[in-house]
Amino acid sequence: MKRALTLGFALVAILAIALVAGRAEAAPAAKQDTSLVGAGASFPFPLISKWIPELGKAYGINITYSPTGSGAGISAITARTVDFGASDAPLSSSQLDACKGCLVIPWALSATSIPYNLPGLGGRLKLDGPTLANIYLGQITNWNDAAIKRMNPSLNLPDLKITPVYRSDGSGTTYNFTEYLSSVSNGFKDGIGFNTSVSWKAGVGARGSSGVTGVVRQTAGALTYVDVAYSIQNKLQFATIKNRAGKFATPGLRGIQQSLSQLPAKVTQLSQLKIVDPPAKAGNLAYPIVTFTYVIVPTASAKAADLRKVVYWAVTQGQKFGPPLLFQPLPKTVQAFAFREIKKIQAT
Amino acid sequence: MSTVTQDPAASSTSLERRGIPLGDLLFRGVAGAAALGATVLLGLIAWKVLDLAWPSITASGLDFVWTEVWNPVTDTYGALTFIYGTVVTSFIALLIATPLSIAIALFLTEIAPRRLAAPIATMVELLAAIPSVVLGLWGILVFGPWIAQHLEPWLESWFGFIPIFSGSPSQAGILPAALILTIMIVPITSAICRELFARTPRELTDGAMALGSTRWEAIRGVMFAYAAPGIMAAVLLGLGRAFGEAIAVTQVIGSSDSISTSIFAPGDTLGSRIASQYQGATTPLQQGSLLYLAAILMVISLVTNVLAQVIVRRFEKQRRAA
Repeated sequence: MKRALTLGFALVAILAIALVAGRAEAAPAAKQDTSLVGAGASFPFPLISKWIPELGKAYGINITYSPTGSGAGISAITARTVDFGASDAPLSSSQLDACKGCLVIPWALSATSIPYNLPGLGGRLKLDGPTLANIYLGQITNWNDAAIKRMNPSLNLPDLKITPVYRSDGSGTTYNFTEYLSSVSNGFKDGIGFNTSVSWKAGVGARGSSGVTGVVRQTAGALTYVDVAYSIQNKLQFATIKNRAGKFATPGLRGIQQSLSQLPAKVTQLSQLKIVDPPAKAGNLAYPIVTFTYVIVPTASAKAADLRKVVYWAVTQGQKFGPPLLFQPLPKTVQAFAFREIKKIQAT
Repeated sequence: MSTVTQDPAASSTSLERRGIPLGDLLFRGVAGAAALGATVLLGLIAWKVLDLAWPSITASGLDFVWTEVWNPVTDTYGALTFIYGTVVTSFIALLIATPLSIAIALFLTEIAPRRLAAPIATMVELLAAIPSVVLGLWGILVFGPWIAQHLEPWLESWFGFIPIFSGSPSQAGILPAALILTIMIVPITSAICRELFARTPRELTDGAMALGSTRWEAIRGVMFAYAAPGIMAAVLLGLGRAFGEAIAVTQVIGSSDSISTSIFAPGDTLGSRIASQYQGATTPLQQGSLLYLAAILMVISLVTNVLAQVIVRRFEKQRRAA
């Protein structure tokens, strides 16, 4: 019996030593690197994935980012369980209060496209904001509706039910899309409003960009909204959208750039970064459903120096990784705003 | 005879007295800790869910249960749509799965030659091994479109006068979700039913047939009577599975915030709403309300589980008496 006992103890001891030794061995390797943990929006995730290895090379900073959704990112940074959060929607004033000393910094810019499934259309679909709003309000239900025909006289619009498809999960794309519809349609603003998730009146929901795209692919007559990078990667046909200049614009890089032309010369607060539905003088190419996506950092952080480096790099050098993914580089005025905000990050 | 039976008992007491105190103690400790751990964990989870749901519980109280609103813009929430969706999808799933499972079980125990029965039984059970997320994916890409293009138009042409079968077909909705759930619970209930039928004493059915009843009469009169409580328990187990399933349902139910009469239309269940919106919840009230949904789901699941246990216990008692 005693032998078994000593054997047991010996085994435990060996195991413990092995564990401790293993850790000790692992520790020096991690020492020269610092690490940052982030969580939040999935919209900029393709871009952030490109940044992570570059930042590792440039500064030796290990970044882990979980694309858990804007809401989860806001919660995580509010609870300070991560070093930075990311959100496609700017924080509301109550969220900012709850976050206690958080900075919201724009770090990427993209557009929302409107893919559809209409076989045998014979051309590219044109839509305007009020019509889109009425489709999602359930007031326009058939593709041969007069409002759609008027914009697309040359197209062979079928007698087919419209199935609007929306995101069932909270999403920055939903925020961007509903913000646009609310700004062009009072009916939409009063009936539904804008948020990362809203109470839809018509259509079917699906989870994630892949979910809504899946439904659109399988359903003739369906349309939805996804970020333009996703549309292009998946070779989806998407509509051109009428801007204030009365022209039908595509969500290409030039379309996104023109929508920014009306930003103030010096951006001093976040509310000036609302860029959906820009005025007519923005230009003929201006695409009206465009959004910034934001990083959320605490003003006081133990890792302040690393955070400053990372965010600065993201809004400067990091921007050049954007265009292949249809993220438009940040304009100078927004960069300047970001610089001023970055300076406020202080070490604790 | 008596000395033989006494001997092992005596030796076991002496063994006990001699000790193995360490091994015994260790075993007791580990087993006890595991049991205690599971119990404490359940308590902790229940407490935490209630704790996190508290903002919503204090804000809307029991009204939450029968309010048919889910509006993150105005920050007002209620659970009725999701309770309705959970109950209706699970009910339809059971309605189809129960006779189907009994039929499969009967085929495997009574009709199929043994050479065929074993592989078929394995295949049916393997159906349960498909991860729910894969089943949901199949629902989006294959099953849902098939339902929208073939099943729902057919149902409408024959039963369209009943409101629940009217309305425009949709590849995401209550019916596709219910059918996916059916596929998920059939393996469970059919496996239990098969076990029940196989355990029915042969002499009972043989006796019935000797008295002149046909095979079907013997099955109906003897086997079903013998297995009925067990079948009930199996059905309730399946129900528990259906209530709790979230991911596969999220993928095919279409996520609506209000109740529609038609089962073709999108709806939502408690589990699926939590799965789809918890990560994106922005306000404390929305998070609280999602946890309130979780609490309701836990209560519903608890009640069905307890019910299943009560029935199984009664079944055991009956069988012992028989």
